[in-house]
Amino acid sequence: MKRKFEHPAPSQRELNGPKYWRSLDELAETPGFKAQLEREFPEGASTLEGVDRRAFMKIMAASFALGGVGLAGCRRPERNILPFGKSVEGVIPGLPQYYATAMPLRNAAIPLLAETHQGRPTKLEGNPTYASFGGRATILAQASILDLYDPDRAKTHLRRGAAISADDVTALLADVSKRYSSGEGAGLAFLAEQSSSPTRARLMRALRQKFPRALWAEYEPLSDEPPIAAAQAAFGANVKPVYQFAKAKRIVSIDCDFLHAEAGALFNARGFAAGRRLTSPKDPMNRLYVAESALTLTGTMADHRLRLASSHMFGFAAALAVALGQQVTGIDDLSSYAAGTEVKPEWIKACADDLREHAGNSLVVAGAHLPVEVHGLVYAINAALGNIGQTVEFVQAEPTSAASITDLAGAIKGGSVKTLFVLGGNPVYNAPADLNWSELQKSVPEVVRFGYYVDETSASATVHLAAAHYLESWGDARTIDGTIVPIQPMIMPLFGGLTENEILARLAGDANPDPYELVRTTITQIAGGDQDHAIRRFLHDGLLENSAYQKATVAFNARDAANLFRGARQAAPVDAANLEIRFAVDHKMDDGRFANNGWLQEISDPVTKISWDNVIQVSPKLARELGIYPKGSVLQVARIEEGELDSLSREQAHVGEITVGNRKIRGPVHIQPGLAAYSVVVTLGYGRAKSGHIGTGAGYDAYALRTTDAMYIANGAKLSITAERYALANTQAHWSMEGRDLIREANYTEYRDNPTFVRQVGMEAETPPTVGAVGLAMNAQQRATEIPRGNSLYSTPNKQHGGFDGVNQWGMAIDLNTCIGCNACVIACQAENNVPIVGKEQSLRGRQMHWIRIDRYYSDGEIDSAAFGGEGNKRLPEDPQVSLQPVNCQQCELAPCEMVCPVNATVHDEEGLNVMAYNRCIGTRYCANNCPYKVRRFNYFDWNQRQLDSLYLGPLGPHGMPELVKMVKNPEVTIRMRGVMEKCTYCVQRIENGKIRHKVKVMQEYGADHVYTDEQIRVPDGAVVPACAQTCPVDAIVFGNILDPDSAVSKAKSRGQDYQLLGYLNTRPRTTYLARMRNPNPKMPDYRNLPLSRIEHNRKNEGENGEPTEKPEEHESKAGSGHSAMTAVKRLGGLS
Amino acid sequence: MSKLFPKSANKLPLQIVIYLVVLGSIATAAVTYYMTPKYTRVGYAPVQPVPFSHAQHVGEVGLDCRYCHSNVEISGHSNIPTAQTCMNCHSIIKKDSPLLAPVRESYAKGTPVPWVWIHTTPDYAYFNHAIHVNRGISCVECHGKINEMDTVTHMQPLSMSFCLNCHKDPAPQLRNPKDVFNLDSKRLYDQGPQGVAQAVKYVHNWKVMPPQSCSGCHR
Repeated sequence: MKRKFEHPAPSQRELNGPKYWRSLDELAETPGFKAQLEREFPEGASTLEGVDRRAFMKIMAASFALGGVGLAGCRRPERNILPFGKSVEGVIPGLPQYYATAMPLRNAAIPLLAETHQGRPTKLEGNPTYASFGGRATILAQASILDLYDPDRAKTHLRRGAAISADDVTALLADVSKRYSSGEGAGLAFLAEQSSSPTRARLMRALRQKFPRALWAEYEPLSDEPPIAAAQAAFGANVKPVYQFAKAKRIVSIDCDFLHAEAGALFNARGFAAGRRLTSPKDPMNRLYVAESALTLTGTMADHRLRLASSHMFGFAAALAVALGQQVTGIDDLSSYAAGTEVKPEWIKACADDLREHAGNSLVVAGAHLPVEVHGLVYAINAALGNIGQTVEFVQAEPTSAASITDLAGAIKGGSVKTLFVLGGNPVYNAPADLNWSELQKSVPEVVRFGYYVDETSASATVHLAAAHYLESWGDARTIDGTIVPIQPMIMPLFGGLTENEILARLAGDANPDPYELVRTTITQIAGGDQDHAIRRFLHDGLLENSAYQKATVAFNARDAANLFRGARQAAPVDAANLEIRFAVDHKMDDGRFANNGWLQEISDPVTKISWDNVIQVSPKLARELGIYPKGSVLQVARIEEGELDSLSREQAHVGEITVGNRKIRGPVHIQPGLAAYSVVVTLGYGRAKSGHIGTGAGYDAYALRTTDAMYIANGAKLSITAERYALANTQAHWSMEGRDLIREANYTEYRDNPTFVRQVGMEAETPPTVGAVGLAMNAQQRATEIPRGNSLYSTPNKQHGGFDGVNQWGMAIDLNTCIGCNACVIACQAENNVPIVGKEQSLRGRQMHWIRIDRYYSDGEIDSAAFGGEGNKRLPEDPQVSLQPVNCQQCELAPCEMVCPVNATVHDEEGLNVMAYNRCIGTRYCANNCPYKVRRFNYFDWNQRQLDSLYLGPLGPHGMPELVKMVKNPEVTIRMRGVMEKCTYCVQRIENGKIRHKVKVMQEYGADHVYTDEQIRVPDGAVVPACAQTCPVDAIVFGNILDPDSAVSKAKSRGQDYQLLGYLNTRPRTTYLARMRNPNPKMPDYRNLPLSRIEHNRKNEGENGEPTEKPEEHESKAGSGHSAMTAVKRLGGLS
Repeated sequence: MSKLFPKSANKLPLQIVIYLVVLGSIATAAVTYYMTPKYTRVGYAPVQPVPFSHAQHVGEVGLDCRYCHSNVEISGHSNIPTAQTCMNCHSIIKKDSPLLAPVRESYAKGTPVPWVWIHTTPDYAYFNHAIHVNRGISCVECHGKINEMDTVTHMQPLSMSFCLNCHKDPAPQLRNPKDVFNLDSKRLYDQGPQGVAQAVKYVHNWKVMPPQSCSGCHR
């Protein structure tokens, strides 16, 4: 339960300066401090006014004497402990507090728990009360806390660039409200973002009542939900779909990145992973078909992936409908629409047969960016397959009553808008280019902009109102299924920001709205019953029970839906002369609102692996035609890299120019395997002209190409290559596994017949097990405690030798089969462990500091056994399979890093952790050199104390961390300085605190005279969770005690598909991986008996084509597929 | 061959050795005295904004440590009481004392009393009160006889070796858990052979294994 804060009106001083404390004097508002504020430098800093030489000598002599006697400089500075004046309920110094809140994003909020340390939020986790998300959070939610402490955010309200006070703002809003009340709002217009907030909806109703003639428009540059118009046509009802991926056995995604770009991606990902996770060979596994133009995260998970231009998706859907039979739509022939779409008929037929076999358990989804007719056809297919009510449910949705940005633009051009409120968003940057919004906005006499940053839109607004962060203000929102969640403040607005609700309430005539009361009124109205109880419950749980959208029963109406299809346009041809531009959602910038977030800028895109920039992605085929196909590198064994590299292995991309009609943009061209041949993928959200220090200038602006009639797909584009080059911070230029066994994969059928296939792959299959034949039969627990030496020359610190005697032995298992590569773990780790950012300049040198990274490999099965010079080693894959692997410190029991440290800075503790003592480290970097996993990170600079643009100035550069930035740091983790090595600690602060919490609890429970068993002292499973595992949307990371045979991690490690990365090195890592499975359909034309990475592995090691020749007749039959799998295994000398 | 070195040069090596030994001893003594916590911290007794006497409140009045340091059993940080805690009594007793003016002001205005921090570990060392007081380590082990102090004085070095001495062999410092907050109580080891046996038994029964590796305190 959050107590209600009275928000006092900010004083003049608070408006002009930062509101976070700097010293006690500031709080006390002493006259001396005020005077000091007015002077740039403290009195007497630059001159010796009023002090003569004699007085100076006297003072200095005294201080020299003091310094000499007491050696004051060596003593610790005097520090204070500052307790509260009055005790605050629930606040225990030293312990964090957790409050329920939520991050609003368009129509779907993410429910969160915010961790606060003495009133300072430092970390966000998913709210476990909201069962659909299972207490998980997305990458954007994890990173959003950094925005709260962004030094570049808007700090005051501005009128034409000059600061104005809160009173001025109140007067302004009251004036507008009064001025327009007589004319019923004629001349008043609003441009807002989409919002699911019930309070905003209520205030809007009040506003409409007061100003019936005002224009309310909404604009979102990215739409992440299927258009309601399609559902309206197909079902005659205003409904929207909620996909139940967990129930779907066969999934077809039509250009739909449902694991990342769509609303409810978190829910989708959890459902998808549930249908994919294999805990035993008996578990079923879903199958994913993807047709897409870009290579998305969803595409990387596909069992069958079809590269197809986005503008041909209707043709694809039509072909699928035709193959499923005429009953799908009940209308005349759809095949004419399918004409011109480059899909193999066998592909469509096998896919359709598979869907039909799983009628009721299958699911077809289409990307939100696709036109209505595709969605209508997808509804028709789902209806024909009987999926509606099973894998796809429908809920009531309200069609928006808001006007579009085009309507508003028309009104402005007509001169009927006198006062325009731009509430959030950033239309000058991201409105469709043909509206020429920046000029339009200038033509409105009065523009009031409400925004978090002083950005492009604020620059041409009359008044800028500073917005509060969602962690500073009261609000409410709905999740993807409509459940109402509270947005609770964790801290008072640092810079006196306002909320949208306050502005609307003031305009509607409320003279003194309180953001909390506004929310309370809405919620108690909806909840009914006892008001106090309802609101307490709402804030405690972090959601309002039974407030989800009502489920709707729908029936497909073929006749009305047919009208949609008749309106469909014939797909435009896509070829070298008429390229297709696909405007894709960026992995981390969203629509550009996160541009100034350093964590997100620095993280690599999971597919391109490029940080700090967006790129123009082209297929290898198009690259060849454009003449930018790379010539091959010195190291043939590394195959050729995607771009040309300079001497420091930096990708030197060609700068390309895209022309659509008369609009042009320039950006670095990156060759991306897996794209449709003539689709050019550009991502939105970069190229900000006016953002903060981080965001300004990163990437190129793709909005400049976007027009109202081609918001997501533009046809007829040209791409030319200029002579310019541009360096890209590509963190993984090397993209091939070289036929090694880093990621072990199998087809589902092979796994069912041979659950321990991982042991027959790779080096371990050919060498004696490092733990001996006896050890092989042991589980992880026994191996950790009972095998003293393995075959190593070094003695293992086992029990007999005085080590590893802790009652907890920590271990981790990462399931590559469910990992979707979403990067949420990386950001969660960064927030938890105070991992700094290093900037693009240093990223180019490979000095990123992330403690966990996600490796991405391509395989196309074409690698030659000849390491040098083979043809297969010289081509870029057009249509690769993608394998992703999160790699953190593997916490080796026999850690190579420890053996080379000259100062014992990295050693083992009794619980099997490879610990790093920063104070001992002298920075030789031998450990990083000797680490086979390359997970150690070195502080080349004092990233925390120095500014990223003046690192090389050394002591001459500015020093110190801004107060605001200090506030985001986790007080439980040391801030590392220059010259020390760091790495993943398994979140040792959480482990130690968890152990202490548990021991305190049992001591208080059983008392002093009890004889404690190991089980009682041992931390219960699930009580200690590292940040990465806590946020993993698909539960791919499991952590716990391997001594407890019932712990989740022990169970994961005892599965057949568990393997060690580079296990043959006998490092005996505590982190192990669960192999990835693919579930291809044997009837598909692109079916292969083995995953492509295995084929490459076999070709490399066996020198043949790598694939068992016979193809199983029936994939469901165990014997048939088992035979082929066994052939491969035997050839490798496995199963001995 | 002419003499390159005078005869007196024969003594030079010895002189150099003596010189180095003396210099080394001075340096060692200086570093020990000026830079080790044993000398830099022990005896530190700063003037507090309010001359609060533990001797009076604990020794004479008999307040329990946990009346003011109320969260010491659950939190890593032992809290300094809020002004409100003081005012529980001082709104009745000595309510006009000028010495208590900062407390009254803090209570009225909500601004903190700036107590001077005495016992502390470096930022990279994470000490946790809760686990120590719950497992038989008394306040007195690190803080000394606070109950007899008029002005709180730093009594132990609180250096890494101080911590490790106990972590290597915890039994001699153990008390019966009910004596942890009784600063006049004796360690079990000081209560004769029976006490020694009890301490050893506690270590065994509770599975006391204080961490000696880095991760125990450094994160």
